[in-house]
Amino acid sequence: MLKFLILRRRGIIRIFMLFLLLSPGILLAQSKTITGKVTSNEGETMPGVSILIKGTSTGTATDIDGNYSIQASEGSTLVFSFIGMVTKEITVNSSSVYNVTLETDISQLDEVLVVGYGTTKKSDLTGSVSSVKSEELTAFPVANATQALQGRAAGVNVQSNNGDPGGALKVRIRGGNSINASSDPLYVVDGFVGGALPPAEDIQSIEVLKDASATAIYGSRGANGVIMVTTKKGTAGKAKVDFNTSYSSQNEINRLDLLNADEFLAYTREVIPNYVDNGADTDWQDQIYRTGGIQNHQLSVSGGSDRVNYYVSGSFFDQKGIIVGSDFKRYSVTSNLNFDVNDKISVGLNLLARRTGRNGVVTQEGSGGAGGAGVVGSSLRFMPDLPLRNEDGSFTLASIGDPIDNPYAVATEREEETIADLLQGNFFLNYDITEDLTFKTTLGVNTNNFRTGIFVPTTLYAGRNVNGDATINSGKNTNIINENYLTYNWKINENNTLTALAGYSVQKSTNNGWSAGSQSFITNSVSFWNLGGGAVPKIPSSGFSETQIASVFGRLNYSYNSKYLLTFNARYDGSSNFSKNNKWAFFPSGAFAWNMKDEGFMEDVNLISDFKWRVSYGLTGNQAISPYQTLARFSNSYTIIDGAPVNAVRPTTVANDDLTWETTRQFDLGADIALFENRLNLTVDYYRSVTSDLLFSVPLPSYSGYSSQLQNLGKVENKGLEFSLNSFNTTGEFKWNTGFNISFNRNKVLELPDGNDILYGSGPGHLIGLGQTQILRVGEPVGSFYGWIYDGVYQEGDDFIPGGGFEQVAGGEKFRDIDGTKDANGQLTGEPDGRLTSDDRTIIGNGQAKFIWGLNNDFSYKGFDLNIFFQGSQGNKILSYTLLEIETLSGSNNSTKKALDRWTPTNTDTDVPKRTLSRSQRVSSRWVYDGSYARLKNISLGYTFPKSISESISVSRIKLYVSAQNILTFTKYEGIDPEVNYNSSGSTNSNRNLGLDYASYPNAKSYTVGLNISF
Amino acid sequence: MKINLYKILAVWLLLSISGCADLNEKPIGVFAPETFFKSPKDVETAVLGAYGVIASENLFGRQFICALQFRGDMVDIGNRATSAERIQVNDFNMDSNNGMVGRFWPQWFQAINAANSAEAGGISLGLPDEEINHLIAEAKFVRAFAYYHLVRMFGDLPYINFAVTDPSSLKTVSKTPEAEIYAGIIADLEFAKQWLPNTQKNNIRTRPTAGTAAAYLASVHLTLGQYQEAYTEAKFVIDNKALFGYELETDYEDNFKASIANSLKETIFAFDFLGQQAVGGNNDDSLVPMIEVLNLTGGYGVSVPNMNVYDDWDSRDYRKKVSFIDTLVVDGVKRPYSEFSTPRPHIGKWARDFGNGNAIGRYSDHNFSDFRYAEVLLIAAEALGEINGPTAEAAGYLNQVRARARNWAGTQTNFPEDVNPTMSKAEFIDLVLEDRRLELAFEWKRWYDIKRRDLGVKVFTGPNSLEPHPNFDPSRDYLMPLPASELRINPNLAPNNPGY
Repeated sequence: MLKFLILRRRGIIRIFMLFLLLSPGILLAQSKTITGKVTSNEGETMPGVSILIKGTSTGTATDIDGNYSIQASEGSTLVFSFIGMVTKEITVNSSSVYNVTLETDISQLDEVLVVGYGTTKKSDLTGSVSSVKSEELTAFPVANATQALQGRAAGVNVQSNNGDPGGALKVRIRGGNSINASSDPLYVVDGFVGGALPPAEDIQSIEVLKDASATAIYGSRGANGVIMVTTKKGTAGKAKVDFNTSYSSQNEINRLDLLNADEFLAYTREVIPNYVDNGADTDWQDQIYRTGGIQNHQLSVSGGSDRVNYYVSGSFFDQKGIIVGSDFKRYSVTSNLNFDVNDKISVGLNLLARRTGRNGVVTQEGSGGAGGAGVVGSSLRFMPDLPLRNEDGSFTLASIGDPIDNPYAVATEREEETIADLLQGNFFLNYDITEDLTFKTTLGVNTNNFRTGIFVPTTLYAGRNVNGDATINSGKNTNIINENYLTYNWKINENNTLTALAGYSVQKSTNNGWSAGSQSFITNSVSFWNLGGGAVPKIPSSGFSETQIASVFGRLNYSYNSKYLLTFNARYDGSSNFSKNNKWAFFPSGAFAWNMKDEGFMEDVNLISDFKWRVSYGLTGNQAISPYQTLARFSNSYTIIDGAPVNAVRPTTVANDDLTWETTRQFDLGADIALFENRLNLTVDYYRSVTSDLLFSVPLPSYSGYSSQLQNLGKVENKGLEFSLNSFNTTGEFKWNTGFNISFNRNKVLELPDGNDILYGSGPGHLIGLGQTQILRVGEPVGSFYGWIYDGVYQEGDDFIPGGGFEQVAGGEKFRDIDGTKDANGQLTGEPDGRLTSDDRTIIGNGQAKFIWGLNNDFSYKGFDLNIFFQGSQGNKILSYTLLEIETLSGSNNSTKKALDRWTPTNTDTDVPKRTLSRSQRVSSRWVYDGSYARLKNISLGYTFPKSISESISVSRIKLYVSAQNILTFTKYEGIDPEVNYNSSGSTNSNRNLGLDYASYPNAKSYTVGLNISF
Repeated sequence: MKINLYKILAVWLLLSISGCADLNEKPIGVFAPETFFKSPKDVETAVLGAYGVIASENLFGRQFICALQFRGDMVDIGNRATSAERIQVNDFNMDSNNGMVGRFWPQWFQAINAANSAEAGGISLGLPDEEINHLIAEAKFVRAFAYYHLVRMFGDLPYINFAVTDPSSLKTVSKTPEAEIYAGIIADLEFAKQWLPNTQKNNIRTRPTAGTAAAYLASVHLTLGQYQEAYTEAKFVIDNKALFGYELETDYEDNFKASIANSLKETIFAFDFLGQQAVGGNNDDSLVPMIEVLNLTGGYGVSVPNMNVYDDWDSRDYRKKVSFIDTLVVDGVKRPYSEFSTPRPHIGKWARDFGNGNAIGRYSDHNFSDFRYAEVLLIAAEALGEINGPTAEAAGYLNQVRARARNWAGTQTNFPEDVNPTMSKAEFIDLVLEDRRLELAFEWKRWYDIKRRDLGVKVFTGPNSLEPHPNFDPSRDYLMPLPASELRINPNLAPNNPGY
């Protein structure tokens, strides 16, 4: 009856399965029941071993005692696989009992990798995919699992945007493909596109899809790479309880060496002779930094029977920040359930519930003017001769210059609390329509509620004049997704297999938010919880946006004996974000892989145990713009008439009826090579991707009344080489494994609107007059620093080069005159004109690394294991606004010890200019530093107690470890930490502001002790 | 059971598909221009948007008015560690990448665009003149006001007097000659004078009236040397001052008190800033910190007059006292200007009463004024002086301004004394210009006077220069350069103004 129905329904199926018009094999072959037991080579029974009938998706798993039972026909092949074991194939003959022994595997080729809408063996992979396993993700405690990817996978660049607890990270896969649209990768969590990541402890593996063959199945969202997250699942067997706990002690990674009070007084009185000594000698960095810590606990229970498996986990992460007043807490619950309704149907549910709470301090301030200085910025600028408090108990304010609060006051008095509650559920149903044809449907819901409250009390300068300032903003983001797809495995004959996938997906995201605030409170004690008590309400705001994406997608894998592999992917995406004329686009890709080792001529090359070539080409898209950007719009124009705000609007956006996706065309050529009986695995990839039709804020003539319009214009290229190497140096009792990866990426702008340079500024607002600091220029990397060339200090008798706002005195900053002469048409000729002007600016560096790398060594001997993990970046430059602010030696800030070497009539052999009050802050090569670094990211020593001991206390495994993170950094950078970003969030800036540093929350170095117990 | 499940799945599939078809955006909470204009109220909302653009950090909150101050001979740079772009504007060595221009140039055109789209919206309603023309007139006034500033600052520039829907189409336009722009300004102001009401609700001065339009017409004609027309318009305003509600404040200082800014009868046109309420750049003013003393008040100490301005000014003049702060009382201690970080008297107008601002006077309550009734009197005096020489009528206008200045906060003094119209025409004109310099001191008027009267060589390089700039070049410095970025986008704007 069922079969009949399926045949009748094939018409419907056809709609979704373009590739499967004539589907043979739907009829079941003659089958019988096969049973047996699976054991390991060490003689232990193995629960949870996957048993699959080759060429189909029909399979089962062994139960608690390693027993299995499956329906299979004579002549079919059973494939027994288990992570870490060599996969074994058994051909079914007349017997119906097969006991199997699996061998431990060091080869990685049989590793099963998660790809879009399915899994594949590494040996069958045609695309470029990196995989990071659970042990690497949990090597040390992290607030966010993506942090653990740093240095672990070739082609993946992870950087913290700021070092604050719970702060955001920037992840780039094979460089930034865009200029103005986001280049963040797409996250897919257990199939939930755009899902949130559970804690690292709940993640089984992360696969990073890099080339078009792997990512095109995600079409318009695939261009920046895809991070596939697979959470832990239960396996059949008795309940397994894992308890992991660790405590870390943290300190700031570095400080700047600043002038003390005496040095500061001398430095200041050189230009302000009557500066009054305030009598103290305060090290403001001492005041704000403290020993912070992380405690991280996780308890999970997993197990299952032959029909049900479960994994439930609760975790608690509590970080006390290394700056007073900052902390982060995360509570999370992960629950994964799978249930076989019957032989054909299984259902499952992945749940994640999470609360994060964060108390922040201001760092990386956009403007640190009056009352606006952040904690770190102020700790560097603030006068060391001032005490923490005045005699009346109030906090000290800067004695000269901008009235800024002392850093301790900002850290402790200002409140900023963010609470976010996330609930994510993904339901799926898997239906084996036939042995070869599987239908899967998923329904995912993700909702994130957040609230931020900020209170600036009257004890701070910014709150004093307004009698306290309170703001609350709150919002809710919801993401709903439904995906449906069919997978068809067709073993055409002995040598040819075909797998087809087709499906469609609908996704809807809504964001809403609101904000309210008021000022002028009777007391500071109400914080932000009594807005009504403020005498002066602030302007409230609210907003709503909605995005929808509808897609049809498919994949075809063809394999000839696993020797020649072909893959075609395609996705047809429609997005509401785009203009009325261009809502839909098509993203195809193709790939070919050749397992060369399987050829006859390689048979006798014993050195090489595997050799596979891969080549792929395809199109992917980037649709990362906000909704409604293609529509013409009036926006509120805040206007006061007769002393009160009135309704007022003005045109702010012009329509673009043709706006559509960015398209990235990527070519990838790679090889996976295994040598010495799989003891050395090497993966090499070359890629070149060109992103065209950039979603670009094209500058408009500003006399049009608009500054820019989002248009599809411009091209960016990223090309590079990636190597990753895994080596089993020694096996046996003493094990030594090495993992090394290195990625070279070159980023270049290929095309800009009308070929014109585009200049823009990124400096903090109070560093007035910095103006344009960076440039987009054809042939150069995105976000090159743009400024004057610093030529050291003028000496007495030098010819001072004239120029408005430039010093013309001995001891002043000397810049190079490189251009300014114009030809008859008014064009610059590149000839010096004897004057310093804005024409003398040039490219003085960029923040793109020449290469990034990670080196991991694991040693183990008996119960001991040692992990040493280095990570680094080479060839990137940093433009430091921090040092620009305090080492310009103009104005009222404190400075570093470098100021002691300043030019004076008696200290002329220096490149540090003299102390003055009349030097403009200016971006020049003086503030561009080599940002290369190598860092000992983790070193860890663990001891696993022998079974005899652990079993005597009724646990199956107990491991104790001590580790340290970030304790060594090799760098020439003169700022606090080379791992920095500033003004680098939001899609407009995330790619074009690389390598900037301003008053960042320093990264921490940590010492950790931890315990893992399994019952 | 299996069959039912299958059916349910099939239905689910179909439902999902039908539920997904809609990719058209239906924004909530944002305004679409094509459906925005339904009534005159909407046109008014669109006109008002332009004032917010002008009452902003980039224009009347700081950048534009400060640039005008620096350009003249009354305001010099105090703290020379300030940004180079300001020093360059002040010292006449700016180039076409100047950051101040980079800020106020686009902002003016946003105001113009707002006015243009309001005007187009008003016309699109197709209402009878009586119902809509007062709003169209207001939009035209704003456009004229913006271009009047721009044309004086830049000379020839693109003149856009229509709502822009395709900005890219403007990438090839050429500069409109100055004369054509002035013709457009005059036409707009005349329409405004005809259709605007005589007073706005509550007699506020932050929206224009027929009187405002006439006052600006007087100023435009004066700038163009069309003295008869300038006199006629100024006379019209003076004769109808009761109708428009204009009169000189009895105390000169009242004009600069934020706390009474909304009730000043002398103000003809101003921009209303509300204390502590900036949104984006709108309603964000920083003039007060720019003029305040760096080391004693925490201000920026940037816009500080040259010592000559203070020394040259007769101390019997109440306006000098109002205009300067030469002593500060800090924590009960008197600090003379010799203790200021820039040891010169600083600007006092706006600094004494800025209402509800932050401690250094940012986000103040000031209504920064672009036109006071005193200036109408001075225009009448100058224009009539040009036509007929120093007549009693002409001197009478000047003397009204001088008489008010003799009121030293309630006490009558005898300085400055009335002008006796016995001097030569040239002497009289010089006197009026000198009175403009002092009466309107630091009020972003002086540079325009220097330019229209071609006084640059005299006031910057002459022996009695208040703020010497020997490099002042009249062939270059009367105009600022158009931003280099604009010439990159539209090469048809080349060449830039001479010397850049």
